[in-house]
Amino acid sequence: MIKEFINYLSSPLYSFTGVMAFFFFTVKRPDIVGSKKFGLFSLVSILVIFGWMLADPVFFSVISLPDNIPIIILNAVVLWSWWFAIHKGVENDKRIAAGEGPLEGTPENREKVWAWPNLVYTELFAGIACTVFLIVWAIFFKAPLEEPANPTWAPNPAKAPWYFLGLQEMLVYFDPWMAGVVLPGIILVGLILLPFIDTNPKGNGYYTFAERKFAISGFMFGWIVLWIFLIQVGTFLRGPNWTFYGPFEYWDAHKVVAENNINLSEIMWIKVFNMGLPKNIILREIFGIILTGFYLVGIVPLITKKWGHKFLKDMGTVRYYLLIFLILSAASLPIKMYLRWFINLKYIVAMPEFELNL
Amino acid sequence: MKREPGMAYNISNLNKVFAVLSVLLLLTVIWVVLDDYIRPWKAVQVKAMDIENQVTALKVKEVEGTIDTSKLSAAKEELVQAEKALEENELATRKIKQKITDVENRIYVQNMYNGVQGSQSGEWQFKYEHALSAKHFDEAKKYKKTFDEYKARENAGRDKLKALTGELDGYTAELKKLEEAKTVAEKNVKSIVADRDRLVASLARTEKSPLWALRNAPFIDFLDPTIKIRQYVILNDNSDMYFQQIPKIDRCTTCHVFIDRTGYEDQPNPYKTHPKLDTLAVGVNSAHPIKDFGCTSCHGGVGDRVHDFNSPAHIPQNEAQKKDWIAKYHWHEPHKVPQPMLPLQYSEGMCIKCHKGVERIPLADKLNKGKELTETYGCYGCHKIEGWDHLEKPGPSLEKITAKTNKEWMKNWIWSPHSFNPKSKMPAFFMQANNSAPAYMKKNEAEVNAMVEYLAHQAKPYKPYAPYKGGNTAKGKELIEKVGCVGCHMVEGIDDKWNAVGARKGTYLTGTGSKVDPDWLVSWLKKPNHYQEDTIMPSFRLTDQEANDIAAYLLNLKNEAFAGLTFPELNKKLRDEILVQDYFSAFDTLDTAKKKLEGLSDEERTLELGRRSISKYGCYSCHNINGFSAELPPIGPELTKVGSKPVEQFGFGQQKQVPKTRQGWIAQHLKQPSIWDLGVPKPFKDLNKMPNFYLQDWEIESIMVHLLGLVDAKVPLRGQKILSANEKIAEDGKKVVNKFNCQGCHNIDGNGGELSKAFEDPNYGPPWLVKQGHRVQTDWFNNFLQNVHTIRPYVEVRMPSFNYSNEELNKIVAYFQADSDQPTFENLGKVEWEAGEREAAMKLWNELACTTCHTIGFTKDEAQAPALKDAKLRLRPSWIEKWLTNPTAIMPYTSMPNFWEGGTISASEGVLEDDPKRQIRALRKLIQEWGNSSYPTPLSKN
Repeated sequence: MIKEFINYLSSPLYSFTGVMAFFFFTVKRPDIVGSKKFGLFSLVSILVIFGWMLADPVFFSVISLPDNIPIIILNAVVLWSWWFAIHKGVENDKRIAAGEGPLEGTPENREKVWAWPNLVYTELFAGIACTVFLIVWAIFFKAPLEEPANPTWAPNPAKAPWYFLGLQEMLVYFDPWMAGVVLPGIILVGLILLPFIDTNPKGNGYYTFAERKFAISGFMFGWIVLWIFLIQVGTFLRGPNWTFYGPFEYWDAHKVVAENNINLSEIMWIKVFNMGLPKNIILREIFGIILTGFYLVGIVPLITKKWGHKFLKDMGTVRYYLLIFLILSAASLPIKMYLRWFINLKYIVAMPEFELNL
Repeated sequence: MKREPGMAYNISNLNKVFAVLSVLLLLTVIWVVLDDYIRPWKAVQVKAMDIENQVTALKVKEVEGTIDTSKLSAAKEELVQAEKALEENELATRKIKQKITDVENRIYVQNMYNGVQGSQSGEWQFKYEHALSAKHFDEAKKYKKTFDEYKARENAGRDKLKALTGELDGYTAELKKLEEAKTVAEKNVKSIVADRDRLVASLARTEKSPLWALRNAPFIDFLDPTIKIRQYVILNDNSDMYFQQIPKIDRCTTCHVFIDRTGYEDQPNPYKTHPKLDTLAVGVNSAHPIKDFGCTSCHGGVGDRVHDFNSPAHIPQNEAQKKDWIAKYHWHEPHKVPQPMLPLQYSEGMCIKCHKGVERIPLADKLNKGKELTETYGCYGCHKIEGWDHLEKPGPSLEKITAKTNKEWMKNWIWSPHSFNPKSKMPAFFMQANNSAPAYMKKNEAEVNAMVEYLAHQAKPYKPYAPYKGGNTAKGKELIEKVGCVGCHMVEGIDDKWNAVGARKGTYLTGTGSKVDPDWLVSWLKKPNHYQEDTIMPSFRLTDQEANDIAAYLLNLKNEAFAGLTFPELNKKLRDEILVQDYFSAFDTLDTAKKKLEGLSDEERTLELGRRSISKYGCYSCHNINGFSAELPPIGPELTKVGSKPVEQFGFGQQKQVPKTRQGWIAQHLKQPSIWDLGVPKPFKDLNKMPNFYLQDWEIESIMVHLLGLVDAKVPLRGQKILSANEKIAEDGKKVVNKFNCQGCHNIDGNGGELSKAFEDPNYGPPWLVKQGHRVQTDWFNNFLQNVHTIRPYVEVRMPSFNYSNEELNKIVAYFQADSDQPTFENLGKVEWEAGEREAAMKLWNELACTTCHTIGFTKDEAQAPALKDAKLRLRPSWIEKWLTNPTAIMPYTSMPNFWEGGTISASEGVLEDDPKRQIRALRKLIQEWGNSSYPTPLSKN
């Protein structure tokens, strides 16, 4: 009963919405999320719930796949560092608000020490410890030597390496050209551009949240919600045929899911106007093109007017518009996801004739 | 603690952390090395050493027990004596030995000298020849001179060496003479204890010595380990890498260490000797030595993987073994292995992989049985199997069916064949688990009604060949037992002895009186091909009276309960419903379908449903029916590669209890094919149509041996059994022989002959055909098969007159001839006698009293052997001689005396210098001289 409920809640729509809600709650009330009480409570409840879930054979069989172990480690590390950063940031913010300056800025914390042995020696320790860990890991989870590749008998589900499962999950909502090439390209370029866009010196060398609220929440949204969470979905909730399976649901390769998606052009021309699709491609996709144009160009002055004029002034034109473009690109993913879930939208612009599907 | 300036940490604490981490790293490195070093198969090999040690120690003891101690001590004593004698002669021995050393030294020096001269002369010879060819004649002259000098020295040196060698030989011979007594004595002692010493030496190899430990120690075990992966590269079979076929690599012997060695038969696996080491496989003298065929070529599995018990895809034979393996080896189903090991009971199936186009594979009885059953039940009728295309449809022709039986019987029969004939080969389509819901049964009844109407409608008129006039049932029974019906049919009510023949080529004759038309039956018995041109049922040349007697007996067999059944009338509403819903509306709307139906008359609708239903159930796959072309593909899926069909492609439906394996599915499918529909919502037209044959478990297993062997293997040409020209001819003939079931009565070269086994004295049964192609003349054989005549008047069982096609006749004759490596025709010529030979032959003839048994043409007595006067045209001369030499070697049961006892003794004293060969030849000539020069009158055929 509870398990079925959890299965139900885990569907991408609810779980994604839930994660987003929690994320915005964190941004809104870092003092609650960053408190030691909350941290302890989360740790205990996560351990208890995870332990209980492990007792389920189906969940256990998915979680214990050797390939999935790095993701569990990743989860622990990401959750911990996220909470720790917020915790520290909140602490410092309180001090800054009280006029004491960040903890890292106190005189005793500003004392300079020798790089050798303080840094180099400890780095060696980390190196040795990691080597030990990798050796032990390699002993327990041996690299499998599998059967010769058979093009007519591919594995089902066919999954990318674990760190790419978020991208693979994006394939559900986007054309391969978008999800596989354009969006990853924007992510790479965006990451390269980040230090040039964000020239704000605040937060250098000390934890803070309040001083860098927009930058932190913007980046973490992309990292936690759009990258890490999608990896979770791709790893644990996608089974044979990339169909959704709840965490306690048996991966039955024959599960049938009705998914009939339609393009925006079809919605408009057929459902709304009740006429056939125009032969002319541009005319056929005109609504999508207008909508996309508006989203990428038309919406920018509106944003600038409402929120952006201060940023525009601080950052300069080029930095500002690059930032807006990156944000819009990132936001396109959740927007497209919700459109899929609510109105079964396949593509906003569907021009397979030109391999251009948005 | 206070920190030093410039330090964030206490350095001695850091050193401690470093120490701990270093130790941890060292430990994990040792761990990973050991983890890599310790392999399950190494433990197996170490244990194998212990086993070998025990077995060898036992053998040493055994051999020691056989050593004759008194003989040994005598030999030893002799040796002591010889040594003593030699000691007395010590001075002479030492002198010679000294001389030998001396000469040997000189030979060594001479060899060195010769070598130098030889290489020098070679060099100058090259220079000389080179200069000559470059036309530098002056230089050539110079070079020639040097070359000649060296050559001369080399030749002199060789000569010297020869002299020295001769000298050495002389001294050696001298020494040998001196030491001869000792050498002989030593040899004697050795010959007595050689076996034991050899075993003791091999015993030493199984000891775990320090050297052994060193050779197998970690890190240095790459040099010369004794514990290692052992492998065979098999060029005769391939591993399918999908993009590439590579030679198979079998490492099974890494654990199955003694598989190719005798003496370990009683050990548990994996230490066991192969059970068919000498005949079938693995052994060097077997048909498939391990170095050529490996293990997985036949057993399946992944031979190159030795990581642990699971990696080669071992498959247990049964549930008990599975449990055992799970407990012992943590066994689990292999992941994604396309051809895992075949469970042991199905191994024979793999023979087909390489032995294609062969009717019978030696040493594979279970597989042969499986193929036979596949034929008996006519699996190939509905399912295409490559190599089975030559066979006739398994069921009888229905093209004139109304002459044979009536509609009511046909309906009840189709509905439930086994309630009429419990041994029916016709399977049951109806009343199965998936179609016995009342609504489905009603529809099935409509279909059966319509099918029978169609069959009756399509049937062509038939005028019986002879009418039934009534007969004597007792005589009929006797005839059935006597003339040979039981070679193909089992018959209700006859002597159990004859039904024990177990013939299933023809149908089990039961309830015949409730089934067939009497006139049809008599006609069928007298002249089967009058009713069906291509039938394999032969004519037994029955007289009218005989045919009527047999018919009377068969008509007396009644199945009253079945005959009393009345099949429900055709439900026209359901008929129309099926037509519209299942057929007419397949590509059209319901309205169009209904209109189409309205356009048909009542009879047309029935016939339409009948025709559609015959297509639906695939009746035409097994029976010839007018209106269904021979080119129609059979109803079932092809089975040519069913042994490699991926498990994912088998539909298990809701049957969770069926093991998710190929063999699990096939076994269940053969047992109860309707099961897959249970719990699956399927419309009437889509129900599984594979019928139920009600097979016994052993039959299922045999058929599965065959089916699982139908694998998709890419065996290289060199690994396949390629038939020689003669073998190919023989196999083609065997196909015909199987078609007509010759082996049902005759034992052909050791196979078949179930009917002949039923005779207490096989002399009165169908004769064995042993190398028949050598025995008979080709043209006689050809004539006999078409015009059967009496050979053995004392034999009551009849050689029937079959209705062979010209091609079939040729194939049969060619088969026996090719199988015996005989020429087609022989030049008999005129018998030519040597001086006195004919008189000798006459003497033998009288003395051996041939005419006591071979009476025909000589006396009026009853014959107990074939007519000798027919032998000239019938038998090959060389076979007659072979037969006379040793008749029982050819036919163990024969009553022909073995006069010459295999050609070792003289049959008559003083005749032809007591030379058995000459005696036999003389007698053969006599038989040929007296032979008739025309064939006997054939028995009249209908």
